[in-house]
Amino acid sequence: MNALREKARELLATKTVQVVIGYAPGSGGAARALFVREAAQAGELVFDETCLQNLAAYLMKPEVRRLGRAALVARPATLRTILQLAAENQLAESSLLALVPGADGVLSLSTFSAIEAHVAAQDNDLSAAEKSELEKFAAMGLDERREFWQEQFSRCLKCYACRAACPLCYCTRCTVECNQPQWIPVPAHDLGNLEWNVMRAMHLAGRCTNCGDCSRACPVGIPLYLLNQKLCSDVLSSFNQRSGMAARADHSLSTFKPDDPEDFIR
Amino acid sequence: MARIGVFICHCGENISATVDVKQVAAAAARIPGVAHSVEYKYMCSDPGQQLVKDAIREKGLTGVVVAACSPRMHEPTFRRACAETGLNPFLCEMANIREHCSWVHEKGDATTEKAIDIVRTLVAKVKKNKALQPIQVPVTKVALVIGGGIAGIQASLDIANAGHRVILVEREPSIGGHMSQLSETFPTLDCSQCILTPRMVEVAQHPNITLYSYAELESLDGFIGNFKARIRRKARSLDETLCTGCGLCTQKCPTRKIPGEFDAGLGLRPAIYVPFPQAVPNKPVIDREHCTYYRTGKCRLCEKICPTQAIRFDQLDEIVEVEVGAVVVATGFDIKHGDFFPEYGYGKYPDVIDGLQFERLASASGPTLGEIRRPSDGKVPETVVFVACAGSRDPAKGIEYCSKICCMYTAKHAMLYRHKVHGGKPYVFYMDIRAGGKMYEEFVRRAMEEDGVQYVRGRISRVFERDGKLVVKGADTLLGARPMEIEADLVVLATAAVAQPGAEELAQKLHVSYDAHRFFSEAHPKLRPVETNTAGIFLAGACQAPKDIPESVAQASGAAAKVAALFSRSELVREPLIAVVDRQPPPVYSSCVGCFLCQSACPYQAIEKEEIRGRDGQLIKTVARVNPGLCQGCGTCVAFCRTKSIDIQGFSHEQVHAEVLALLNRGERDA
Ligand SMILES: Cc1cc2nc3c(=O)[nH]c(=O)nc-3n(C[C@H](O)[C@H](O)[C@H](O)COP(=O)(O)OP(=O)(O)OC[C@H]3O[C@@H](n4cnc5c(N)ncnc54)[C@H](O)[C@@H]3O)c2cc1C
Ligand code: SF4
Ligand code: SF4
Ligand code: SF4
Repeated sequence: MNALREKARELLATKTVQVVIGYAPGSGGAARALFVREAAQAGELVFDETCLQNLAAYLMKPEVRRLGRAALVARPATLRTILQLAAENQLAESSLLALVPGADGVLSLSTFSAIEAHVAAQDNDLSAAEKSELEKFAAMGLDERREFWQEQFSRCLKCYACRAACPLCYCTRCTVECNQPQWIPVPAHDLGNLEWNVMRAMHLAGRCTNCGDCSRACPVGIPLYLLNQKLCSDVLSSFNQRSGMAARADHSLSTFKPDDPEDFIR
Repeated sequence: MARIGVFICHCGENISATVDVKQVAAAAARIPGVAHSVEYKYMCSDPGQQLVKDAIREKGLTGVVVAACSPRMHEPTFRRACAETGLNPFLCEMANIREHCSWVHEKGDATTEKAIDIVRTLVAKVKKNKALQPIQVPVTKVALVIGGGIAGIQASLDIANAGHRVILVEREPSIGGHMSQLSETFPTLDCSQCILTPRMVEVAQHPNITLYSYAELESLDGFIGNFKARIRRKARSLDETLCTGCGLCTQKCPTRKIPGEFDAGLGLRPAIYVPFPQAVPNKPVIDREHCTYYRTGKCRLCEKICPTQAIRFDQLDEIVEVEVGAVVVATGFDIKHGDFFPEYGYGKYPDVIDGLQFERLASASGPTLGEIRRPSDGKVPETVVFVACAGSRDPAKGIEYCSKICCMYTAKHAMLYRHKVHGGKPYVFYMDIRAGGKMYEEFVRRAMEEDGVQYVRGRISRVFERDGKLVVKGADTLLGARPMEIEADLVVLATAAVAQPGAEELAQKLHVSYDAHRFFSEAHPKLRPVETNTAGIFLAGACQAPKDIPESVAQASGAAAKVAALFSRSELVREPLIAVVDRQPPPVYSSCVGCFLCQSACPYQAIEKEEIRGRDGQLIKTVARVNPGLCQGCGTCVAFCRTKSIDIQGFSHEQVHAEVLALLNRGERDA
């Protein structure tokens, strides 16, 4: 933690970055995001197991971008997100620097290739708990699955907190906000909720980097990560591609490769 | 306020026999916004079109729905009629109540209901239609012909004679293709070289034709009228401008024991070679794989001998970039080789050969100078068994189709054998004789009746060696499947005609489709046999399906006519049914977020990056843009865009949404 604060102080003092985005203690035992813009403020930074939020989401906000170059305290999923955003032409390499706190100090990654190397070496698999949840879900029959989600979605409030939390929901105009025509109905009724949630999941297929922030953000506790992870594992098995592994990558769902197996088409 | 006219066609009885057209007209009249609704027996007839035109003028219609057949059939007809009255043609839509309704359902209320629903949908759509203007694209009047067999040669000459420039790309050192390997040709038995060579020379000398032999297509980008091709000219190891084709090098080359491709492996050639004496261009190439210098670093004899110092050992492949407006693909076919027929001993016994090898044996320029001598010991064979359908029409071997040329060339082979070996005994094993074609049946009859070729209907099961003879085991199915055994000196397999080995790769470079057997697909099996599904790319010859020479030539001339028609105007008019990416006034500029997922999704490489800059030149954002010349309006990008920033003109989100709602809300609306 001290190493992190030290690093932040140094980066700001030398004007290497204009802001360090990290964590500070929040309410209810959770951590919140902290934007450190003065070296003197660096002492407020913390890093522990409560620091879960994927701070890469802030990189997409215009008001954050306007602050200048950012150093971002990054968890494993944060790094994957940075690479995915880069692959989608949303990040300039020079605009950021990732700070990875570890047992022996803080690693500072300033290039995409450094981040790629770090990501390739880290464990990107689901946790054992996540895996068993996913297996339980995958084992359900189709009818059972539909019932499960219908029940879950019936509680959705259409507050769009999941979307606000998701670093990959960076569109300045979301499909739900298109009203000419209004493909996805606005009210939080069953059909509208189903359409919204299916659309959200499909738009993340082959893109979601499994940070889990959508589920944590949902005020009514819908396990959204299950949908995303199922799609991720399907994309991995069908196209042999994991999102967030490279800063230059073709989108698995929109790219035709002559050596694609295409077994489901032929 | 919309004033829509609905015109319901009986299509004779095609529609009215199952759909109650009067009821449809009455229902259409009740749809809000419909100002006029009539039915008529033949809407596409002159009086039918007049009904449409009169109504547009008299009732001031703002949109037209013709409920009739498929838009593929008559959309152009009715759009033209609308345009004649001054109504923008893209304000006219077809409601397909024939293919989508009357033809596929029984007569009844439900069928009429469905027809009404279809009309309702299109009325909802047409209310949202916008006037569109056709797109004009310039045409580069240069054609690229890929493949210099007889088909490619014919297409090149026809296009060149129509006054347009042609770039002909041939993979091998010489043009000519398979026809140059043939001895004599059915059904007239004229010498193949004698009729082909003059055309090859004409290609070489034609002022409008640029020939790149020993070259291959590297890539093709662009679209009809505006393609960019990159051609790889493989290193001949020779300065073509200096070489006079004297042939001294090929005579002196010490590396001479290489099985020659032109003689189908039956003759030998040196490492520096011209494939055959009449080759065009008549310039050698060094086969670097076999050349002693490239293998050991020593020799360079040809370099010393060449009187014009034309040899270039260090030559590299060269990439040439050309702009062309149309492409004719004429890359031909191949025949099955190798261990495909273990039961026939093909590839195992030297005297089991394929049809092309027999052509070389029978050819005056071949390795035996036209005498039929078998490869193993040079003996003149006393008995020859010809096997038709070797691999063809054999689902077990994965080739269900008929290779089409084998029946005819097998009859030719048996005949040539009899003409050259008077006492010889030719047998032909066949499944059926397919001799459809002018003078073809007569030709086969001649083989049987005048030349005494023994035709046996049946498949052979096995060929094996016994005491220096090839034993052919089969059955005569016309004689109650009586087993037969023939002791032959030579067996000739008419192996299946198959696609070129590189066909799939080439198709992917060209973005044209191909069938399960890797033959290129025509756009329509009957009505568009020389077009591909990619506009501006045409097919000629055996690359599309096995064909004989007359058919290949006919198709080549057909393709050339299409190219000439395309080149007859300097601008091409295209329907504006293409994608556009949202643009808005500042500060938004576009709802596109520049993720460019659409870019990789587009199968036609139509999506580009556009930088939006402020007055001071500062980059504001990078967003997608659709190149109107390239876009085919397939809609793939639309489905991908999360921000719904892309619309297909004529099939916009609003239009499609209106159609869906018209169906969903039908109960409420009519109530
Ligand atoms: C044994 C035998 C006997 C026959 N006898 C007769 C007969 O008597 N009468 C008759 O009418 N027909 C006969 N035929 C059929 C005849 O050979 C074909 O109809 C004819 O050759 C088809 O011409 P093509 O130009 O379409 O193809 P091809 O002759 O195959 O020519 C294709 C050309 O394209 C070139 N090419 C291929 N791929 C590429 C590439 N990627 N880039 C550039 N160039 C490429 C090839 O090198 C070749 O030069 C016979 C066929 C066989 C096998
Ligand atoms: S956060 Fe939960 S409740 Fe809110 S929109 Fe997303 S799924 Fe619905
Ligand atoms: S998919 Fe949509 S948002 Fe993304 S680049 Fe294309 S047009 Fe823009
Ligand atoms: S409509 Fe099809 S061809 Fe046109 S830009 Fe979109 S994906 Fe490409």
